Parts: sequence; C-alpha cells; structure tokens
Amino acid sequence: MDKIKLRQICFYFAAVMPVAKMLVYPTALVYRARSGLLFSALLNFLAEGLIVLLVMLAAKRTGCSLFGLIRQKFGDAAARCVYGLFALFFLFSALLPLMEQKNFVLQVMYENTPSLISFAPFFFVSFYAAVKGFKSIGRLADIALPVFVLSFAALILLALPHADFSALLPLLAVPAKKLAAGSLFSINWYTDCAFLLFFLGHFKYEKGGAVKVLSAYAAGSAAVLLFLAVFYGVFSDIAVRQQNAIAQISKYTTSLSSLGRADYLFVFALALIVIIRMCVPVQMCVHCASAAIGCKPFFPALAANALLLAAAVFFNYSYLEIQTLFTQKLWPLFFLFAYLVPAAALLLCGRKKHE
Amino acid sequence: MKNFTSSCKENTAALKALLTSEDILVYTFYTKDGKECAAVYADGMTDKALLGEALARPLAAGDAPPSAEEAAKRILCPESKLLQSPCEAAREVLAGNAVLFVDGAEGALAAGLKKISLRAVAEPPGSIAVKGPREGFIEDLKTNMALVRNRLKTPRLIFKTLTVGRQSGTAVAVGYLDGIADGKIAAKIEERIRAIDIDGVPDSSYVAKFLAERPLSLFKPAGTTEKPDVLAAKMLEGRVAILVDGSPIALTLPYLITEDFQGAQDYFASFYRATASRLIRFFAVCLSLFLPAFYVAAQLFKLQLLPLGFLLTIAGSVRGIPLPPGAELFFLLVVLEILIEASIRMPKYVALALSVTGALVLGDTAVKAGLVSSSAIIIMALSGIAAYTVPELVGTVSLLRLVYVVVAGSLGPFGVLLLTALILIDLVTSDAYGCPPLAPFSPLVKKDLKDSVLKAPLANMRERPAVFGTKNKTRLKKNLPR
Repeated sequence: MDKIKLRQICFYFAAVMPVAKMLVYPTALVYRARSGLLFSALLNFLAEGLIVLLVMLAAKRTGCSLFGLIRQKFGDAAARCVYGLFALFFLFSALLPLMEQKNFVLQVMYENTPSLISFAPFFFVSFYAAVKGFKSIGRLADIALPVFVLSFAALILLALPHADFSALLPLLAVPAKKLAAGSLFSINWYTDCAFLLFFLGHFKYEKGGAVKVLSAYAAGSAAVLLFLAVFYGVFSDIAVRQQNAIAQISKYTTSLSSLGRADYLFVFALALIVIIRMCVPVQMCVHCASAAIGCKPFFPALAANALLLAAAVFFNYSYLEIQTLFTQKLWPLFFLFAYLVPAAALLLCGRKKHE
Repeated sequence: MKNFTSSCKENTAALKALLTSEDILVYTFYTKDGKECAAVYADGMTDKALLGEALARPLAAGDAPPSAEEAAKRILCPESKLLQSPCEAAREVLAGNAVLFVDGAEGALAAGLKKISLRAVAEPPGSIAVKGPREGFIEDLKTNMALVRNRLKTPRLIFKTLTVGRQSGTAVAVGYLDGIADGKIAAKIEERIRAIDIDGVPDSSYVAKFLAERPLSLFKPAGTTEKPDVLAAKMLEGRVAILVDGSPIALTLPYLITEDFQGAQDYFASFYRATASRLIRFFAVCLSLFLPAFYVAAQLFKLQLLPLGFLLTIAGSVRGIPLPPGAELFFLLVVLEILIEASIRMPKYVALALSVTGALVLGDTAVKAGLVSSSAIIIMALSGIAAYTVPELVGTVSLLRLVYVVVAGSLGPFGVLLLTALILIDLVTSDAYGCPPLAPFSPLVKKDLKDSVLKAPLANMRERPAVFGTKNKTRLKKNLPR
C-alpha cells in the first residue's frame, strides 16, 4: 500500500511538483522580485534541490523509514512525536495551496463564481487518495507525466508568440535584497522536499538514484522557470495582477478567436494534476498521523479532510490574510520542517548502510 | 451409500433409485453365455447408435467379461472409466455418458458416449473480423478446449477441469501454458473456483463474479473473448484462461483495461493501421465519456470554452428548450439506453417499426416540438456511437457518462475533473491477481507500451508483456527477415 518506486518519485518531481507553482506563486513572486523573479525562483530551487540531494543520500545509506530511524536512535515515543508534529505541519501547510486551488477553480472554471459547494467534493477525493497511501501518489505520477508534458508544451507554445522576453532585462536590475525577500517569502511553495523524507524506506534505492531524482527535480524546476519567464514575458508590468497564471498565459492566442478558449482543455488537464498535487500534503498528513497514533489511515483521513473543509469554509473570504500569514510570518516554520529536519535526517543514517 | 456389487439387477436398481427421472433409461442386453448386461443413460444426451455399436455389440458377441476392467477392454470406446459407487455413476449419466453393468462383474463402467445437439463453430456476432480467423467458441466445453488446443499444439498447454454448481454440476476448465503463465495465478484461480458454492452456473459471467478481487468495481473483473485465436494469443502472453461448459465466452486473467482497445485484426493488419485504429478507439471512448459532460459544463458554467460562432448556434438551438442542459442530455442518454436495450431484446420483425419510432418520433419530432435541442441530439448520438468502438467497455462507459453528465450539470467542469481523479485513484490502486488494470501506463511498464494504445511492428515485440511476470520472457527469438 505504501510502496513507491524511484521512477515514480522522479515523475512526481518532474510533472506533479511544478503545477503547484503555476497558480498564485508567479504573481506573489512578481510582487516582490519584479523582473528578477527568475533569480528568486532559482534560489529557492537550489535550496530545495540541496535538500532533495541530502534526503536521497540518506536513502542511499538506509533502507529504513524515517520512523524507523528515529525509533532506533531515540525510541518509539520520539518517533511518534516527530510524526505527530509533521502530521500537524502537513495539515497546516495544506491549507494555503487548497485555498489557492479553490480560488483557481472558482475563478477559472466558472463564469459566475459559484458557492463553496462546488469545491467541497474535492475533500472526498482527497480522503479517498489519503486512504490509498503512497501507492496512489506514485501511480498517479506515472499518469501525470505525459499529461503534464503535453498540456504544458501546448500552453507554452500558445503563449510564446506573445511573450516579450526583453521585459526580463536588464538581468541584474533588481536589488539582491528584493530577490532574497522574494525567495524567503515564497518558501511555503517549496515544501516538496519534506514529502521525499517520508518516502524513505518506502522505495528501493537504485544505483544512481540520487542523480535520477535530482535530474527530475531539475527538469521540473526548469519547467517552472520557463513558465515564469513566459508569464513575465507576456504580462510584464501587469503580471502582478494576473492570478491563476496557468489559465492566463495563453489567453491572447489569436487562433482562439475561431476555436474558442481551446487552451482551457490543456488548463483543465493541468488542473487534474493540480488536484493530484493538492492531495499529497493531506496524504502525507494522514501517513504521519496514522504512524504516530498507530492506526489505519481511515480515521486520520476523515479527520484531516473534515478539518480542512472546516478551515476552507471558515477562511472562505480570507485568502489574502492567510497568504500574508503564510508567506510573511510563518516562513521559519516551513524552513524548519521542510529544510532543517530533512537535512538532519542524513545525520540519523550514520555512515554505513543499514536496513 | 453402498458400493456396487457384482449383481447387474441390484446395481441397476441402486442407480435408478438415485436417478428417478423418466428420461433416464436402461437398455438391457445379454452376452453369448446368457449373462445380463445393462446400460443406463440419459435420453437425448447419449448417442444411442454408438451405444449399440460400440458398447452392446462387442459384449453381446462374446462371453460375459469377468470384471469391469475386462469389459473396458472389449468395448469400442476410447473414453471409459471404472466406477465404484452409485453417486459417481449418477454424475456420469447426467453428464451424458452411458454406465454399463455386467452381471458377475463387480463395479460399473462409464463410457464416453455423450452427444448433445450443438450449434456449429461459427463467427461470433460480437467480434467480427474483416481479416483473420473467423471461428468462435460454442457452448460445449470439450469443443472449446479442442479449438484452443488446435491453436496451441504443445504439451505445455494444461487444462484442469473442475466441477462447479451443486445442482448444475457445470464443468469449468482452467487452462494455461505451463512455464509461460504465472503458476501462482493459475493456482489462485483454481482455488477460487473450487471455493464456489452455488446451486448453478449458467454462464462464465457467474464464474467471473466469483473471481473478482473487487466485486463492487464498475469495471469488469476479467477479460473476455469468444474467439479461440484471441484466447490462444492471450495465453501466449501469460494469461490464464477459464472455459465454462455451456458458455461461448472464455474468461482471461489477469485483466488489463488496455486489452479491450486491442482488436483481433490489429495483429493481422499493418502496425500503422493498427496504431491508428487503437488511437481512434481511445479517442472515441474519451469522446463518449467526456463530450456530453463538457457540453453540459460548457453551457452552464464556462461559455468561453466554445467558439463564438458555435456558441451562437447552440444558443439559437437551445432557445425555448424547457429542460436545463444537464437534464436534457441526461434524458437523451437514458432514451438512448432504452433504445439499445429494446433493440437487443425485441423480435426482428418489429425492428423496423422501432427504428422509425426511435429516429423520427423521438429524434426529429422531439426537436421540432422544442422538447430537446438538435445539438443535444447530435452530442447524444456521437457519444452513443463512439462507445461502440470498444464494445467490451460499453457497459462501463454508458454508466459512467450518465454519472459524468449529472456531475457536470451540478458541479461543472471541476466536478468532471474530480470524478476523473477519483476514478483514476481507484483504478491505479486496484491490483487484481498481481496486475494493475491500468498497466502499462500506471505503473509504467516501458516494454509493454509497444502493444498498448500504440502497436509496434512484430519484430520489435520480442518479449512477452512484463506485467504478467512470466518466467519465459522471449516471444520472438530471431528477427524477422528484412
């Protein structure tokens, strides 16, 4: 149930990870870094890529799960505590992407913004995915790769003729401080490396595994950077107002006047991957909670989704406040759980490989 | 119950006590030395001419054999079996064989003289081939087994025959190629069939339900075919076949959804043509599933999806229609299902009347009366026709598209995406007999993609599908001459 293959992890980083960074993230990044958005994003990718590398090195040294590693070093109670904390972290970190997705759905897929009821069934899908464990993440990543490649390529090709890349020039016009702020305040969009930590012990490390995963991560990152470049090229100064970038970049394509918004078909295909991606933090939360409590995933999945649904209802009209809280105030929390703890996992593994 | 004795009269009486029906007959004759012999058989199921020629004549021509073994040597029947108890004998009689008793010889002898009027081996109407073999399975298990063996003349072809059904006593054969099919899967299937405790098995679909690892799934539990060449090809790939007496439909396990997109004649046509055909089938199934849903969602929730000209045409056609688009299309799809159900079951001589009623009254007149829009009729017709490009999936697709229309009408495009995600999550995690139904796409099995929605040239398909975990992987040893 909780087995995943190295190939599927690669596909996750290449095809599932990028879509979460194509909704509100480009606008948020432009707000801070302006035309230097590529450098800001690159900083984040390098930092997250380093953590991915460290976790993969840990995977090379051990065939044990994080739970097993902590239990060996600090005992069962400590392992349960760490998993419990991570369950809370994943539950918390799922909130902003969920609200992003909700706004994306309600704004892009409907002419007249419907009620939250239209979005609520997502939690049933998320519940079902959470009950099915890592196997569903891996196998959905297998399906996501061709869907992502085709849809992303189509959208970029439709948008390219309208992109003026000179808007990104001069390259070093934005002060380093703004670039750093752009990176730091968008750290909440870079938590996929924490997922990798929990895949430890659930996949078989193959020769060259670290290189493969890192290459896939680089491919996914390159896709996001290309997207950001095209996005800024198309909208330049008004990019900061173009939320849900994924549905915006190809809207000026001239052929669409005779075909309708045919690009929406590709946007919908990517939206399917967005659904898959948004389930992942919930799946991780349920995985950690069921390990911490020592129960089957059914009840943690039910509780996690009920809580997120309640939060989505409660914060229905407070997206901006939540985004501000997550990006400006709570970045140290994301830094701790998504970067420091995964990096420390390497220390738990020791030097020799142990099962 | 007591075993048979050496008295012909006692044995016959014991068997008749079990088989009291009037169509169980006893043919009594005498040997040269005056000993009584009796053959018990079921009227209409046993070949009476053969009973006289192969069984009675050789015995009547000589002295009585001292034992049942000796009697087996005298009769001119290649299929014989020694029996000890009336229960065993009753089973043989009910299977259409004759049971012979000889006075003075202990036990009984069953002779394979079964003869039931069967239809000829003909092309199955459900899978007609323009190119390629045209023979199809019939309702007789032995004929079907012979048709398969005729195509796989190898000692590695193993058939294990089991009996299922407390009242029907239906013979079920599990067939596989030893060394190619996974022995564990064959053993698991055998075990499940043995565990079936039901009064009767009229068709292989009953067995399929017991073999299902997820009985509540919308998707079918096993692959099916009516053609021996297709079954042989599937067995050569490493699948296990299940043949049921009385059913012309063979089951195959493990089942992959992609196999329903593979037509028999894909393997006889050029690989370009085969690939194009498969892509068309795949596109048609997607069209059948999603077109009605997106039509409804686009009208209700996202008008920008449609080009302006098309939008104006639709707007013109739906003006004054009393039903909302979702309800309109749902109603039309239900009407389509009713027409299909009726056309399958109605007598042929009323077909014309129904076609006229269906096409003119329900279609044309409904549009003219302003009850439904012409664009909705087109969408319904296109969706209905497209589903039949893959007949094996029609049942599932018909149901799912109704669900999709309801979801699209109530939740819009996001509902359609959520339902798709839900189905995908369900499919990717529902392995049956060790095989995921969405393989080779999820999990990705690169080698098996050569014979999936795409069809590679035969020379490139050197290995059997990896997803079945066959031990003997090589299919093509030498390359084709170029």
